[in-house]
Amino acid sequence: MPRLVPALVGLALLLSTALVPADARAGSGNVVIVLNSGEDTISILDQTTMTEVARVPAGREPHHLMPTPDGRELIIANARSNDMIFVDPRKGGEIRRLRGIADPYQIGFSPDGKWFVSNSLRLDRVDVYDAQTYERVARFRGLSTPSHMSFSADSRYVFVSLQDSGELAAIDLTTKEVAWKVAVGPGAAGVLTTEDDRFVYVGIMGSDYVSVVDWRERKVVDRIRTGRGAHNVFLIPGDKRNVLVSNRLSSNVSIVDTETRQVVRQIPVPGGPDCLVFNADGSQIWVTGRWSHKVYVVDMRTFQVLRSIPVGRSPHGIYLHVDPTS
Amino acid sequence: MTEIWALVGTVQQWTFEWVVGPFLFAIGEAIYLEEAFNALEGVIVGLFALIVIYLVVRPLEIWRPVERWADQRAVRTDVIYTMINHLGVVPLALFILLDPLERQFHALLDDFGMVPWTLDQTFPALQAWPVATMVIYVFVFDFFEYWRHRFQHRLTWWWSLHALHHSQTQMTLWTDTRNHLLDDVIRHVWLVTVALLVGAPPASYLLVVVLIMAVESLSHANVRLSFGSIGDRLVVSPLFHRVHHAVEQSGARWGCNFAVLFPVWDILFRTARYDRGYLPTGIMPDGEPDYGDGFWRQQVVGVVRLAKALVGRAPPSPTADAVRDAR
Repeated sequence: MPRLVPALVGLALLLSTALVPADARAGSGNVVIVLNSGEDTISILDQTTMTEVARVPAGREPHHLMPTPDGRELIIANARSNDMIFVDPRKGGEIRRLRGIADPYQIGFSPDGKWFVSNSLRLDRVDVYDAQTYERVARFRGLSTPSHMSFSADSRYVFVSLQDSGELAAIDLTTKEVAWKVAVGPGAAGVLTTEDDRFVYVGIMGSDYVSVVDWRERKVVDRIRTGRGAHNVFLIPGDKRNVLVSNRLSSNVSIVDTETRQVVRQIPVPGGPDCLVFNADGSQIWVTGRWSHKVYVVDMRTFQVLRSIPVGRSPHGIYLHVDPTS
Repeated sequence: MTEIWALVGTVQQWTFEWVVGPFLFAIGEAIYLEEAFNALEGVIVGLFALIVIYLVVRPLEIWRPVERWADQRAVRTDVIYTMINHLGVVPLALFILLDPLERQFHALLDDFGMVPWTLDQTFPALQAWPVATMVIYVFVFDFFEYWRHRFQHRLTWWWSLHALHHSQTQMTLWTDTRNHLLDDVIRHVWLVTVALLVGAPPASYLLVVVLIMAVESLSHANVRLSFGSIGDRLVVSPLFHRVHHAVEQSGARWGCNFAVLFPVWDILFRTARYDRGYLPTGIMPDGEPDYGDGFWRQQVVGVVRLAKALVGRAPPSPTADAVRDAR
């Protein structure tokens, strides 16, 4: 028994070491990083070969990810393990880990780079941090299942969808108060402030439309039918007029004209499309298929699925690295 | 294993996209798409496990039965229990009940600056060793299952519920789920608590539950099967568990062979018996031999027995003396 104790201590120390080595996993720097929320792993895909080149452990339930404002690190938010992993956006290797961020489901930086906001979907709270130090400066309780977020252009407001209460909340980052809430529809999910900063689009997952909120007037001014399970809303790089909406249950992605507020095209994407990213030249979108455990690469010229790539279970957030020097 | 998961995933996706999702949308509850999708996995895994268990264990029961019965109505009741349990009715109801509690618990911990402890976050390197991590989870769960089972026999009020499980005189592969619904609730609360204590993620928890389901179905089977003198000390066999169900071992305070997966706990805590054979199963008459002969009747009788136990009017357990004599 006395010999067993040091052996057990040694084993514990060994097991306590860092999880993901900081070295490159994919090697080429030409990667797409996918969060498999249902199995606590990260898939690293190669953009060129459109294959999964590595699958490494993450924290518990990684859902969303985003680059830091300086682009040097990619933050992976692990909701259930209350931490965030900072990884090399070119290759996926872990750089550091920040613990004590309560249930970071969706995260975002204000456009001025001053505030870092974390939505705790399971714990019904929104936390605001100093974006430089990650010290918490405000906590908003009693917000029912805060899901996604977007900011006003002047960084004064963060708009947060409240899934269970079907509302959009505006949090004033200057006064650190909930400024207002407005009912938008059942299962409010993805949030996007339009390019002109006039409207906020909210995907209504419990139905089949996107609510258009005039945030200065604090009211819903339109509803655009996109598809069942309308989930997330995305800007199109270089296109100030159209946005994309993923419809989880209809299994398609809608192109919505924000001027006419009409769906101009439906792109079939199987498997419950959720989050998506564009490649460097904007010719492809890479879409996570939440129900099919795959990532779909869609050609945005032909609107056909070019490739489906098997990944881990329940893939959610996705990041495609674009090398700024290329 | 990868192929099995892929098949489960395909069935889950198809069922969700064509049946569950549209149904939720039609009834205006599509905000629960994610929860339903996750719950569906448990149902499909349960169904797959049930099919595999049936295909493996049922032929064994036909090949080498311990007993043969002309009237098998009692067995058919156990099939109902299995369907309710393995096809997600009970787990789904408990998920709806327990999920808000779990969320509040985590929020409370966070208010005190605490993060729920998890095995693989404390020892991150374990995440690169999923099989080793699973083995640890399995042993931890099995340890707590052993003690839950001992308490079921030790505490009079708990025995008043658990007696239904032991009242079966026609023990088959379906009998492992023959439990009072209140006992099921307690079991799941117990298991979820253990999952919280060790921080087992939902996927690991599901695998542990399926493993327990498979071994318990086999260990309750009406089959003459032992794993040998060494094997019976490594994994719970039909012979090992049949001794636990034997009439001579029944009773609130006594018994043996409580382990669910690994007999090591019985060996460690001196409750293992290897000196008995294939004995008749059931409970010695204890003054209240009626446990009901159908699902609903059994549920009602169980509640009445529990009420009597809680007010101190539970029938004395003559089996205690009988078991002492048997030893």
